[in-house]
Amino acid sequence: MVRRYGELTAVDGISFEIAPGETYGLLGPNGAGKTTTISMIAGLLAADSGAVRVLGEQMGPSRVAVKRHIGLVPQDLAIYPELKGRQNLNFFGRLQGLRGKELTTRVDEVLDLVGLTDRAGDPAKEYSGGMKRRLNIGIGLLHRPTLLILDEPTVGVDPQSRNAILESVEALSGEGMAVLYTTHYMEEAERLCDRIGIVDSGQLQAEGTRDELIRLIGGLDRVRLDGSGDLAAAADALGDLAAVEQVDVDRTGLSLAVREAPTAVAELVTRAIAAGVTLADVEITRPNLEQVFLHLTGRALRD
Amino acid sequence: MRVVGAIAGVELRRFLRDRSNLFFVFVFPLILVVLIGSQFGAASSSGRVVISGADSSLRAALVAELEEAAVTVSYAGADAASEQIARGRVDLGLELTDEAAAAFDADEDLTVVVTSSSSGGAITARQQVDRALNALQLRLRQEAALVGAGADPAAVDEALETAAAQVVAPTVTVTNTSSISEAFAGASGFTVGASAQVLLFVFLNTLAGSATMIQARKYRVVARTLAAPVATVQVIGGEALGRWVIAMVQGLYIMLGTALLFGVEWGNLALATLILAMFAAVAAGAAMVVGSALDNDSAASGLGVGLGLVLAALGGCMLPLELFPDSLQTVAHFTPHAWAYQAFAEVTRRGGTFADIAGDLAVLLAFAVVLLALGSVLLRRSLARAI
Ligand SMILES: Nc1ncnc2c1ncn2[C@@H]1O[C@H](COP(=O)(O)OP(=O)(O)OP(=O)(O)O)[C@@H](O)[C@H]1O
Ligand SMILES: [Mg+2]
Repeated sequence: MVRRYGELTAVDGISFEIAPGETYGLLGPNGAGKTTTISMIAGLLAADSGAVRVLGEQMGPSRVAVKRHIGLVPQDLAIYPELKGRQNLNFFGRLQGLRGKELTTRVDEVLDLVGLTDRAGDPAKEYSGGMKRRLNIGIGLLHRPTLLILDEPTVGVDPQSRNAILESVEALSGEGMAVLYTTHYMEEAERLCDRIGIVDSGQLQAEGTRDELIRLIGGLDRVRLDGSGDLAAAADALGDLAAVEQVDVDRTGLSLAVREAPTAVAELVTRAIAAGVTLADVEITRPNLEQVFLHLTGRALRD
Repeated sequence: MRVVGAIAGVELRRFLRDRSNLFFVFVFPLILVVLIGSQFGAASSSGRVVISGADSSLRAALVAELEEAAVTVSYAGADAASEQIARGRVDLGLELTDEAAAAFDADEDLTVVVTSSSSGGAITARQQVDRALNALQLRLRQEAALVGAGADPAAVDEALETAAAQVVAPTVTVTNTSSISEAFAGASGFTVGASAQVLLFVFLNTLAGSATMIQARKYRVVARTLAAPVATVQVIGGEALGRWVIAMVQGLYIMLGTALLFGVEWGNLALATLILAMFAAVAAGAAMVVGSALDNDSAASGLGVGLGLVLAALGGCMLPLELFPDSLQTVAHFTPHAWAYQAFAEVTRRGGTFADIAGDLAVLLAFAVVLLALGSVLLRRSLARAI
C-alpha cells in the first residue's frame, strides 16, 4: 500500500499478510505510518496505490459489506462521552447490524470482558482513563470480527489496566480471532505477537517472528565475564569454542559475542576458571527488538 | 434504514442529554409564550382602556358607550395610567380633563387625549374608543340641532331619550377595516405568540444543536461509524433525520404545551403539523450546513443562536409580520420563518385549507431541498476531515 499526504508519503509500499487466528504486530516509532496503514486496512482511507484484501475481498472506503469482518479500536478514544457505557455499545452494536436479544446479550458479554459491567450505567465521561480505553476496545469486539485491529491500545494506561488489556488480547487470539496490534512498546510486541513487522518512515523494514528478526541482526548474545587472573589465556581458550564468535579483553574481564548464550554459558565459565580466572560476575544479554530496530534504522524506538 | 434510525436516535438522545438544552428547549419557550401572549392581551375583551380624570357626565357617558361594546374600563390617576400603558397592562389610555368635562356639559368642542400602548389589542381598543366618541359627538350634534331649532334645552334630553326608546335604531356593526386588525381577528395573544415561538425555537435550537455534529467528529466517533459497515449515504441520512426529529420534538412540544396550558388553537392539526414538518426540514438542512461547514462546536452554537434570533426577528417571530412596513415585508420573505408564519396564521386564525397554504409550503419545501442538498455535500466533505 502507498498513501500520501501532500508531499509526505506516510505509507510507502507496506505489504504484509495476517493469517486467520494470528496476532501480527506493527512496531514502529511515532509517525512511522502505523495508523495510516491501519486506516487503509479498515477501509477508512483509500490507498493511493496498492490494495487491501480481507478474506479475499477487496477493501476500501465504499466496500461497506467487507467492513463487517473488521473490528477497529482506534488509537484515539472514539466514544460518545455524554452517553452511558451501555448506550455506546448499543449504538455501535446496531451499526454492526446486531439487534434485539442478540445485541443485549453481546453487549453484556463485552461489558463483562472489559470489566465494565458495574459502570455500564454511567456516562462514559465519568470513567477513568483506563476505563474509557477498555470501553473503546469493547466497541471493536461487539460483532466478533474476523480481524481485530488495535491501534496502540495501551497508551496512557496504568500498568494494571495495561496488563488486563494484554490479557484480553491474548484470550481473544486464543479464541481464534486474528489480531493486528500496533505499538511502540517492544515488550508488548514480544509478548503478544506471533509475527512482527517493523515499520519506519512508511516502510516495512523487516518482518518475521521475534527470533527471526533477532537472527536478522546476527542474533548474537552478549556474555560478560567479570574477573581477574590470566584473562588473556582465558580469551584464547574461549575463542576456540564453536559458539563463540568474538572475544574482547579489558582490564576487568572478558566480553564475548556468543551464539545461544544460555546453552553455552556453562562451558564458558568452566573454561575461564580452568584458564585461571577468578570470576566476580557473569551476565548474559540477549538482543531484543529494540536492538533490532536500532540496527535497522539507526534510531531508538522511542524518541 | 435501521442504521439511519440508530444514527438519528443517538443524535436525538445526545441533544436531549445536554442540560443547558433542556432549559432552552422545554422551559424557556413556554415562558416566552406567556410573556408575549400577555403582551398581546387576553383573547376575549374588545380592549382594556384606562381612564384618568375626575367623575363627570362626560366620563359617565363615555364609559357607558365603551362598556356596551365590551371594553374593559378601569380608572387611574394620570401617572398611574401612563405607567399601565407603558407596561402594556392596558391597551389604551383616555385622559378626560376638567376642561373637557366642562365643555361637554356646555355642549362645546372638547379634546380627549388618547394614548395607545404597543400591545396587540391597542388597535381594536382604539376602534372602540373612536366609535364611542363618535356616538357622543352625534348625541351632542342632535342636541345642538334641536336647541338651534328652538326647542327647550331642558326638554331636549328627554325628547332624545324617548326617541331612542321608540325608534328601533339601525344597529351599527363595527367591522375591522384595517388589514392589521383583520389579520389578528380570531387570534388570541397566545396564538400569535405561540406560532411565532414555535418557529423561533425550532430553528434556533436545531441550529445550535448542530454543535453535536462537530463534537462527533472531534470525539472520533464519526470515523468509527465509517469503519462500521455503514455507507456514507446512511450517515448523511441519519444526520438529516436526526436533525429533523430534534426540530419536530421541539416544535410539537411547544404546540402541545401551549394547547394544553394556554388553550392555544392550532386550527387544523394535520395542516399545522405539516407546516411544522416542512419548517423542521428547513431547520434540519440549515443545521447540517452549519454543523458540517464549521469545525468549532462553540462557534456553531453561537452562530446558531445568533442566526436563530436574527432570522426570527426578520421573519416576524418577534414583532408580528403584519406590523412590518412593506419594505421590511420583502426582506422578511427571504427567511423561511415568514413563509411558515403566514401559513400558521392562515391555518390557526382563519381556518385556512391546504390550498390556502400550498404556496407557502412550496417555498418552504424549496428552502428545505436546497439546504438539505448543500448540507449533504458539506457533510460528505466533513466526513473526510473526520478520519
Ligand atoms: N491527516 C493527515 N494529514 C497530513 N499528514 C498526516 C495525516 N495523518 C498522518 N499524517 C502524517 O503521516 C505520517 C504517518 O502518520 P501515522 O499517524 O500513520 O503514524 P503512526 O505510526 O500511527 O504514529 P503514532 O505512533 O504517533 O501514532 C506522519 O508523518 C503524520 O504526520
Ligand atoms: Mg498512530
